[in-house]
Amino acid sequence: MQVYVDRAKCDNHGQCTFSAPTVFRLDEQGVLQYEENVDESLRDEVEEAADVCPLQAIFIK
Amino acid sequence: MSTDIAVPYLDISDPTFAMHSDQVRDARAQHWYAKTNYGYAILRHEYVSKLLKDPRLSQGSGQWPDHNGVHSGLFYDWWTTCLLVLEGDNHHRIRRLLNPAFSPRHIEAYMPAFEALADELVDSFIDKGEFEVVNDFSEPYATRVLCILTGIPQSEWTTIARLASTIGLALSISIKDELPNIEDALAELYGYAEALIADRQANPKDDLVTKLVQANAAGDTLSDSELRNALCLLIFGGMDTTRNQIGLGLREFMRRPDQWELLAANPDLARNAVEEVMRMNPTTTWVTREAVVDLDYEDLHVPAGSTVHFFTQVSGTDPEAYPNPEMDITAERAPHYGFGGGMHHCLGHFVARMDMTIAMRILSQKMTNLRLGGTEEWLPDSANTGPVRFPIAFDKR
Ligand code: HEM
Ligand code: SF4
Repeated sequence: MQVYVDRAKCDNHGQCTFSAPTVFRLDEQGVLQYEENVDESLRDEVEEAADVCPLQAIFIK
Repeated sequence: MSTDIAVPYLDISDPTFAMHSDQVRDARAQHWYAKTNYGYAILRHEYVSKLLKDPRLSQGSGQWPDHNGVHSGLFYDWWTTCLLVLEGDNHHRIRRLLNPAFSPRHIEAYMPAFEALADELVDSFIDKGEFEVVNDFSEPYATRVLCILTGIPQSEWTTIARLASTIGLALSISIKDELPNIEDALAELYGYAEALIADRQANPKDDLVTKLVQANAAGDTLSDSELRNALCLLIFGGMDTTRNQIGLGLREFMRRPDQWELLAANPDLARNAVEEVMRMNPTTTWVTREAVVDLDYEDLHVPAGSTVHFFTQVSGTDPEAYPNPEMDITAERAPHYGFGGGMHHCLGHFVARMDMTIAMRILSQKMTNLRLGGTEEWLPDSANTGPVRFPIAFDKR
């Protein structure tokens, strides 16, 4: 599964990191870092992250 | 750090202190933060955006009861374990279990009910040509929205409003004197929440409380008391805020009839209109944090334990981030921080955004030529602000 975060929208609130901590994390500067190629077994977690993102910046292919 | 930078000073407990003032605008022009009599105030958008989410700052109001002589009891136990003041994994765990039920996917189902409510309230005064915003619209609307969301019968909204505002006294310095009343109100609200939880456990429905009862993250669930505490927090946190924000939005539009007419002609702009009024006039004019450790950022040194206020209205009108800060409901803007930010970012923002969008759309469809209809009264322009009394006269469309 392909994960894409629209950087122009993302405001680094980190809510996605609660839902899918192995896919999304905030680095030391507080900037979102994420995996682009994610195992299908994590689909539920990633979909939850996309649902709850305050800026609706996460897209899944 | 060098000390040759002149850091402005703001006396935020002066009764005449106001966010909309030359003093505050000058401070923002002079430097990105100010010293205040209670810690520091961050004034510019870029820095609010950066530091509001910094994990070296905690929400900080967890110690509020202790600082005011309250060290135990029903209110104490609720406050010190509720989402707003939890930090780290304890916060993230509960927040994760709550978040999905508040996502657009689930919240949109409530749209028809919110629309029906807005229509009903507007119909009650539309032929009079005047209304008092708080009594006739924003307070019943904000409270009944929460009733709809939680499944409490709307007929009980006045009780819910009374309980939430009594619990709200806990945030004032009279917390100790009012404690028996606060605890009675909280116990009564617990009763509502516990009954809802027990009912949805026995009879699941397609609604928010059922989703929360069934919320499950890798086998982890909310205990009954965690869910009860969260339901009480969202009633408490969602009511005054929404009520005040609607009033502030209407005042903004009353000053700009051109924008009101633009909205009436283009109802699809309502969502953006809500963003615009929250940027210019958020009810939560500051969000407060406390440094967990010593924090250094550029020339700012915040010792551990000190307070940092994030000035949301001031950052929302910062000319650096908003070169044309005048109201424009068609503009695409950098995000505002009227819903806070970071891990404590408002849980109910999709609800609030949707219900205020509906309110602004329906009000603009039905009335024009808004003007002051009597004596208005407003809370101070700092902390949490909004109208106490705001009569509007209008022409029916
Ligand atoms: C216009 C309306 C609203 C405004 C302006 C608003 C504003 C805020 C702000 C600024 C915060 C962050 C506080 C902080 O970081 O110190 C917050 C948190 C919160 N809000 Fe809202 N809110 C609104 C509506 C709602 C609604 C309708 C609900 C519930 C349905 C709600 C539930 C919450 C909760 C539970 C938190 C705590 C989140 C956490 O700590 O993780 N709010 N809100
Ligand atoms: S929740 Fe959304 S805005 Fe926040 S860091 Fe994740 S992608 Fe960015």
